[in-house]
Amino acid sequence: VNPAPHYDFVHAAAALIAIATLLTELALLGAKLVHEQVRVYAVQSLLAAAFVMLVGVQRGQADLIVLAALTVAIKVVLIPLGINRQLTFQAAEHEVPLVIKVPMSLLIGVVLAGIAYWSATAIGAIGVALPEPVLGMPIALVLIGFFFMISRQNVISQILGLLSLENGIFFATVSLAPGMPFVVGFLILFDAAAAVVFYGVLARLIVARMRQTSVLDMSTLRG
Amino acid sequence: MGAAAVVIVALPLLAALISWVAGDRPVAGWASLAAGIGSLAASLVAVFAQNAAAGVRALGGVVYLDGLGGVFLLAVAFVYAVVAVYSVGYLRPGIGHVRLRHLYWPLLNLFGFALVATPLVDNLAALWVVIELTTIVSAVLVTAEGNDASLEAAWKYIVIGSAGLAVGLLGIVLLYAAGAPALGGSYDPTYTNLAGAASSLTPTLTRVAFALIVVGFGTKVGLVPMHAWLPDAHSESPSPVSAMLSGGLLAAALYAVLRLGAITVGAVGPTYVRTLLLAFGALSLVLAGLFTLRQSNYKRLLAYSSIEHMGIVSLGIGIGGPIAAYGAFLHVLVHAAGKTLAFFGAGELLSRYETRSADHVRGVMQATPFTGVMVLVAAIAVAGMPPFGIFRSELTIVTGGFTRPQYVFAALLIVMANIAFVGIYRTFHRMVLSTDRRDDDTARVTRSPQPLMAAAMLTSLAVLVVLGLWIPAPLNELLHSAAGVIGART
Repeated sequence: VNPAPHYDFVHAAAALIAIATLLTELALLGAKLVHEQVRVYAVQSLLAAAFVMLVGVQRGQADLIVLAALTVAIKVVLIPLGINRQLTFQAAEHEVPLVIKVPMSLLIGVVLAGIAYWSATAIGAIGVALPEPVLGMPIALVLIGFFFMISRQNVISQILGLLSLENGIFFATVSLAPGMPFVVGFLILFDAAAAVVFYGVLARLIVARMRQTSVLDMSTLRG
Repeated sequence: MGAAAVVIVALPLLAALISWVAGDRPVAGWASLAAGIGSLAASLVAVFAQNAAAGVRALGGVVYLDGLGGVFLLAVAFVYAVVAVYSVGYLRPGIGHVRLRHLYWPLLNLFGFALVATPLVDNLAALWVVIELTTIVSAVLVTAEGNDASLEAAWKYIVIGSAGLAVGLLGIVLLYAAGAPALGGSYDPTYTNLAGAASSLTPTLTRVAFALIVVGFGTKVGLVPMHAWLPDAHSESPSPVSAMLSGGLLAAALYAVLRLGAITVGAVGPTYVRTLLLAFGALSLVLAGLFTLRQSNYKRLLAYSSIEHMGIVSLGIGIGGPIAAYGAFLHVLVHAAGKTLAFFGAGELLSRYETRSADHVRGVMQATPFTGVMVLVAAIAVAGMPPFGIFRSELTIVTGGFTRPQYVFAALLIVMANIAFVGIYRTFHRMVLSTDRRDDDTARVTRSPQPLMAAAMLTSLAVLVVLGLWIPAPLNELLHSAAGVIGART
């Protein structure tokens, strides 16, 4: 282990970010309106950027600091703005139809977080940047993001679930493999942006042609 | 090798650009056709004339081609070429229903680019990016018929596919982390680097990584239970796109699983990789085989058949040993030929009868003998009857299963192949040969076969017949070398 000068401060800050990120993920489960969910996603992405920044400063890696700036530009500003433009097109105050209601969702979220922490310990993953007690956070984001996607029957919410799942992978990448070449991080970020553009086009088509935002009603194709 | 690789990937990109500029003009189609055939020719040169079986690296470590990549490159380049030829005919007025014409050609070429780039890249991250690119472009192609069902199918596809690929990416990140103790915290994740350090990868992390990779990329392969998107996307897209998805996309995703599997084999031995592939392969084979019995939509039927065939390839690799692995790689090639032929035939049926329901298609042989023969031959070939290539590859896998011995899985393959035969042949037999037609079962559009569509079908058929009867020596060597890459030499 390379004892960095601000070892304790960095670990404490990383732990705080991890806990706050997990809370945003639970807040996502609690948000009923789509524009609330967008705001929660933006906050979570800001935390992701702060985390990359922290690791970049600690390790003295300029590429991670650039990645943090790009994260802010794309995930905190561009993607939420883009989705909000979509929302003016559909009913923004529209409550997302829930297959599983909020209290039950939160309970499931907490259970999934528990599973994530347990499995992170079981894997014994060597977290380079996350202190041991919070290693499970990226896995929790992946599991809860996936659960959010399958339990929220709204096209925009499903995109947000996917993006939040990607945030989990982003955290995992930075904490497990901070040396992974910059180009990889950039490609992933770029890919998220491209995907959102395409999803947005598709979502718009679905809303315009089928007059619905809920995928509950999309049930022609079975078996 | 470097020059050939550049041609393989540059032609589709160039065609995408030309067709984007050309818009609705015929030059878009012809440029794509030329790119497809040129890319296939360059692939044949790269694989055979430059001895890919030995493993070739080019362009400063950007490109890597070995036996494993060679097999999949041939499959996807073939599919791209015949689909481009077929599409020129299919997009003629009054034949196929394609509404987004100005987008069709640029996206088809980008799709082709991503497919042929997949077996060429020499980097884990680049591999993930090209596979993700296939999702984005093909999802838009799925909507090309422009109706509500196709939008629903595309949405399902993009959501499930992206979630799967996100899981696959986590697997790649973990694999990278597994290499860090041996290769240092910041290394270039090329196959060479990882394969060279395979014996010192962290075993636990590698195992978890590969499990995530099988589930993640397996979603795009269509392995059960991650297959939910596949029947809808295959059924609702225009038939040439269905052919591209079935013969090309599934193979490209399977290539990613096997490429990363080869690294995992080096780290933790072959048993772990084989067990996972056996489990998912057997499950896919059984469930998809049973589903073929209850499909009344003939394109969905073919889609379930694709899941079944991907299950067969996984099973063949999972059984292990040189014979079964050889059969599995041969199966990748013949499935590409068989499924393009079958979906091309389905496109003919759809354009003539304007329904996907097998119950409303009767007397194809009387109405249009050429289409009737093609569709029926495709059904027989895809269902695994001799003298076609799929019979040969399945027989090889079964033989491999008995020599291992893996009796249970060999027997399972025999039983399920027969069940799928009943499901597929019964439906197509009724559509093509029975003449008990009701008034609404007659072809709505009568026309003679479109020459380019016919040429594409005859090409696929020729490959199916030739590979069923004779394996050329260089291909034989390539298939053996592919088996060697995933640790099935003994």
